[in-house]
Amino acid sequence: MSKEVRSFQENIRRTFIRYSVVPVAVIVVLAMVIFVFAWSYFVAHFNEVDNHEVEQEISRDMNIYYDMVDTVERRYLETDSVVMDKIFDVLYSKTDEFGEIGNLILLSPDQKILFTSKGSVPKYLTQTVYSNWGVWNAIRRNPGEISTTLYESNLYVAKGIYDGDTLKCAIVYMVPEKIITDSIIGSSRYVYITDVNGWVFASNTWVLNDEYGQIQDDYSLRSGYMKVGNHFYYSYKTETGKGLNVITVNDLTRSIWLIIVLIGIIVVIFAAIIFIAYRSSSNSSVRYTRDIKKIEDAFEAVQNGDFDVKLNINSSREFMTIGNDFNEMLSGLKEQINQNRELAENVAFSQVKQLESQFNPHFLFNTLDNIRFMAKIDSGAADKMIVSLSGLLRYSIRDSREEVTVREDLSNVQDYLNILQIRFNKRFAYNIDVAEDIMDCLIPKLLIQPLLENAVKYGFAGQEKLTVDIKGYQIKEDIVFICKDDGAGIEKDRLEEILHNLRSDADSSQHFGIYNIHRRIRLMYKGEYGLDISSVKDEGTTVRIVIPRHYA
Amino acid sequence: MFVMFIYSSSDGKKEALSKKLVVVSPHPTEFMIPLIQEFENETGIAVELKNSGTSDAINEIISDSGTDILWGGSVLSVGPYEDYFYSYETPNRVDFMEEYADFSDKITCFTNVPSVLMINEDVIGDIEINGYEDLLQDELKGQIAFADPSKSSSSFEHLVNMLYAMGDGNPDKGWDYVDALLKNLDGVLLDNSSEVYKGVANGKFKVGLTFEEAAFTMLKAGSHVKIIYMSEGVVSTPDGIYINKNSSRIENAKKFVDFMTSKDAQRYIANNLGRRSVREDVIGASMLIPIYEMLSCDADRQEVIENKQKWLDTFTGLSGEVSDE
Repeated sequence: MSKEVRSFQENIRRTFIRYSVVPVAVIVVLAMVIFVFAWSYFVAHFNEVDNHEVEQEISRDMNIYYDMVDTVERRYLETDSVVMDKIFDVLYSKTDEFGEIGNLILLSPDQKILFTSKGSVPKYLTQTVYSNWGVWNAIRRNPGEISTTLYESNLYVAKGIYDGDTLKCAIVYMVPEKIITDSIIGSSRYVYITDVNGWVFASNTWVLNDEYGQIQDDYSLRSGYMKVGNHFYYSYKTETGKGLNVITVNDLTRSIWLIIVLIGIIVVIFAAIIFIAYRSSSNSSVRYTRDIKKIEDAFEAVQNGDFDVKLNINSSREFMTIGNDFNEMLSGLKEQINQNRELAENVAFSQVKQLESQFNPHFLFNTLDNIRFMAKIDSGAADKMIVSLSGLLRYSIRDSREEVTVREDLSNVQDYLNILQIRFNKRFAYNIDVAEDIMDCLIPKLLIQPLLENAVKYGFAGQEKLTVDIKGYQIKEDIVFICKDDGAGIEKDRLEEILHNLRSDADSSQHFGIYNIHRRIRLMYKGEYGLDISSVKDEGTTVRIVIPRHYA
Repeated sequence: MFVMFIYSSSDGKKEALSKKLVVVSPHPTEFMIPLIQEFENETGIAVELKNSGTSDAINEIISDSGTDILWGGSVLSVGPYEDYFYSYETPNRVDFMEEYADFSDKITCFTNVPSVLMINEDVIGDIEINGYEDLLQDELKGQIAFADPSKSSSSFEHLVNMLYAMGDGNPDKGWDYVDALLKNLDGVLLDNSSEVYKGVANGKFKVGLTFEEAAFTMLKAGSHVKIIYMSEGVVSTPDGIYINKNSSRIENAKKFVDFMTSKDAQRYIANNLGRRSVREDVIGASMLIPIYEMLSCDADRQEVIENKQKWLDTFTGLSGEVSDE
């Protein structure tokens, strides 16, 4: 598995974060997004509403002035001349609601003043230099039409009265700035009234003008959100169709900073909440999963062979039950294991005992037969054989100890050798070479004798003489006994069978001494201990025993 | 989020581009506004104005294809950059005075701006000033407003004027005077031309070397200043209108040239803005003396263009020596 399996504690913690912190964070982010969208929508909406209000008011004013100019034209055409009271009549009735008549001027084509309501006329209307410039330019460019011109900061509504291609009279009305300014003063946002080219006629601020007094292109060319310099704006533009545009601009910089700060604060608060939640979830998940950890530790201890652990849980009922059950189960298990061990030991012990007691009846028969024979020809030898045999028998039935010292076992071997020596006389020779430093080590009882038994059993087959060498010494922590003879050796097939039986650890029913030895060593000592045998036909057999060195 | 709004509304801007013209100009703002307003009203083309000194304006037009027109800058200063301009002969050229009509198609003369001295009548006291020679009086030491010719084209015109006028037609002989004048400036060399006329108008300097239009504007604004036409002779060099050959709005640029050289525009400029028209059919403002009343001094245009850098270097060298002393 490539993915690491997480701990229960980590899972609890993640669950806590996933189902508490994350949803709240998502909701807050959503709320902020909705807030910003709603805010920008309302900013735009109210800006547009205000803009349309101003635009409608100005359109209305301009319509009145356009209408007035048309009416003046009709009055003029009635008589083809300027009749003062008629024109004043129109002027007063149209501008009644404004309380300001403004400057209505009628000019002849050669720029002579025919009528003025204020008694003064700007020189750029009367001087010949300007005959094609400014307001005059507008009149001549749009024959028969009313045009709105912003010139030298004054707003003019002008129309030429034409007879065919000939200009008869020019009507120029100077719109009182106050009328237009009134409609924008008091607005909570920047309002600009400009001509179609963006030159400002009236405004309630000067912050968005360029150095030439024209509103900056950024605001006049399009509506929408924009960033100019370091400021954010929402700008909206409408065209009145009467030569004037209304541009309303909100400076959003402060609000945006406020929102950024607000978002910043919320983000900081959230970072803090997440940090705290992360830390506290870590702590609380540790606390809530402490019992799980205890259980985990207890199981681990049991796995490592410690059966004495106890689970003490009293934080919550469920875990308390688990803990108590575990304790009960463990003590039951412990009892069971002890019983099993005892049982196994008993079985092993009885097996060893049984194996020890397998005294070869052939040997007994042969020895007794020899004694009978010796009793006739050499009573001394017979006596010695009886003593030796009785020593062997005593040794085998004496105390129930499983282990004896090397020295003790060797003295038993000596009895056995005595009997063999008498039985085979010169046909049998032996050498025993056991290191003195292992004499007090413990070895299984009757370890060496079966080796000799085995050598004699196979060694004499078809040959006159047999010599057996027994060596005992220690290597590192082990004791090694080697029994080597120069006898007939073991047939290859037979050897393989023996080796197979040895390796299979089977409880062989054949009462070979070497099986017994191997089996007993395996039962008594844990580890790579036991018996090995090698043999070459007609050359001899070597048996090797390895057991752990230990003392009483 | 706002970026989204901004870009969604940029279509309108593209549409407006076709009716647009980007103009860079060293002219004073007050001079430009009425002309631009009238141009916009008449043609419906929206002008984007950039205001900068002559040398910056030249750099702008030769390096930025987004700038369509260089409006202003004397033909002497801008002449060397002829290769960067678009050839266009306005139909108005037939009405130009002879000396302004024989320029190459890449240069259209706009107005004539004579160099003048401007004195502040309130602070000049009884010091009499009629020409360049009078500027060397000890009483004027440190009281003369003059901008660095390498930074201000009107100052370069004055340098040319004094080299020819004081050298009796041979500019190489005029440097003694320049050296003497630099000494009397007492290390005061201003950064641009507006510091000169404003400095004199507000009494910081007694006399300034400036151009007629600036002095006229100050006079019109009610400053107590007086225009002095140098008795040694006045060099008057026209300034021009130059179309960027890389402009993408050549048609609008042509309309601009036509408008600015039209009789109405020239008449307005001459009467209200203190410049002398290049057209034969326009007479100057009553506040200015007629052109024939001033002693004119001829400068060889080709010689000036060829030697511009050399003379500026010489001037810088001299002014360095003076300030080191």
